[in-house]
Amino acid sequence: MIRIARASFLALALLTPPCALAQIVIVAGAQSPLPVLTAAQVEQFYLGRAHTLADGVVVTLADLPAGPARDEFYQLLTHKNPSQIRAHWSRMVFTGRALPPQEAGSVAQLRQWLASQPNLIGYMPAAEADAHVRVLLRLP
Amino acid sequence: MTTKRLLCHGIAATLLACTTVHVRADSDEAAQPPRFEFSGFGTLGAVTTDRKDVWFTRYGVNFPGNSDPDFSPDSLLGLQASMRLTDRNDITVQVLAREDGSERQDPRVTLAFFRQTLAPGLSVRAGRVRVPFFMLSDSLHVNYANPWVRPPVEVYGLNPFNDLDGIDLIYHKRLDRLDIEIHPYYGGGRIPFPQGSARLKETRGLNVVLSQGEYSLHLGHGEGRFTLERGDRQFLDMARILRATGQEGVIADLSGTRGSTSFDSVGVQWDDGDWQLVGEYARRKTNRYVVSAHGWYLSLGRRFGPLMPYAVVARQTLDKQFAQATLPAGRLAQLWDLFLTSRNNAQRSVTFGARWDFAAHAALKTEWTRARPDENSWGSYFPRGNPLTTRIGGRTFDTFSLSLDVSF
Repeated sequence: MIRIARASFLALALLTPPCALAQIVIVAGAQSPLPVLTAAQVEQFYLGRAHTLADGVVVTLADLPAGPARDEFYQLLTHKNPSQIRAHWSRMVFTGRALPPQEAGSVAQLRQWLASQPNLIGYMPAAEADAHVRVLLRLP
Repeated sequence: MTTKRLLCHGIAATLLACTTVHVRADSDEAAQPPRFEFSGFGTLGAVTTDRKDVWFTRYGVNFPGNSDPDFSPDSLLGLQASMRLTDRNDITVQVLAREDGSERQDPRVTLAFFRQTLAPGLSVRAGRVRVPFFMLSDSLHVNYANPWVRPPVEVYGLNPFNDLDGIDLIYHKRLDRLDIEIHPYYGGGRIPFPQGSARLKETRGLNVVLSQGEYSLHLGHGEGRFTLERGDRQFLDMARILRATGQEGVIADLSGTRGSTSFDSVGVQWDDGDWQLVGEYARRKTNRYVVSAHGWYLSLGRRFGPLMPYAVVARQTLDKQFAQATLPAGRLAQLWDLFLTSRNNAQRSVTFGARWDFAAHAALKTEWTRARPDENSWGSYFPRGNPLTTRIGGRTFDTFSLSLDVSF
């Protein structure tokens, strides 16, 4: 019986779509003056098409290391899969169109960066967002 | 101070600045994001053709091969450093090592510019940028970013120029769900080849890209002065023949500094994450030195996880020869025909290939292309032996390519 229960649980886990991951939040440092953002604005930033707000304030970007949280973020925001995103950013960077988001080594390092750079935005699983960061947008 | 020396000084200063910042960043436990970026891309590619009397070659890009399989058409290594000066400006330098049309492999500076953000969505770049004539021109050598081993030669062979020393503006605007990029540019560039060089001067153009979701449309127009200075044996022999037959005036259509050229292109892309459709039409018009021609391709790919098989059909067509002469029938007429044929790359091809993204930032690609150069053309092939006795036009060639692309 226990075996059947285990097998059923495993089958259920395998059948659950991988996209049902945790919510992702776009964040800035707790003291950041940046306003709440729309998904369209954040998409423009993370596809390298814009790096300023309408009032001229420059926004800089941080990425998490390659992994599920990063893939989930780009999929939710841009509807592009990891290989599309890598090809897109290769084109943007090596043609000199845009500088890529700065890659933090971990969520902990991203929090440090956000605390020291008021115009920097990043993203993380919603469960990781603590009092040191301010949520600017939730995905989905 | 020459442009070259200025560029050299700029690179030295940037690399020095990057090193200094790097040392500082190390000592600061990376509590702040780094101010510099260091990245690169590379391709190791091998090409072979079933007929052993020709080389596959990319005219204006590589020198016809000297080994089989030939690694020179696609293999390259690019390194790039960028430094953020303030949040509104930065410097980027890129160095690319690959074989050029004169068989040299010396690293060349392919990007060296200063960028300033002028207003929301608007930036200016000054220095060396990429010639952006066609849809994928500015990422022509970043093979990892493209689905194929190389962008179709029937279109991208129409413009072998890579560098644009000058200035450009890039303006982005979003209107509802439509993204608009407007990209005017001005400058010049140079391509070396054995005993000569080609130059673009006072070149100006405008690209517009409209994107919405899975769709993207590219429109481009560029024009400028064009020079082609030849000192190779084939040209010198032909010039002597033309003088001897009283047609000295024709020489001015073969080599000189009084050309003009224009490029037009329309491209579309559709990519829903599973299917990828890419198509483009491009046209080159010139008044002398090289042929006027147009080309197009249509590519369809389907992703199955990390694997994407694709098929491409492509065509380049001659619109106008660049010179006319009347030579006595026989050997002289044959030499003249050969001269014109060697400058014509018209061909049709069909390609089947596959891309395998076997690791993050690395892709393995393989392609089989069946190409048939037009009767009066060498297409994308070059004779290994005597050009007078090696017929290329009208024959069918099977070309196999294998490449490993990385981006880091």
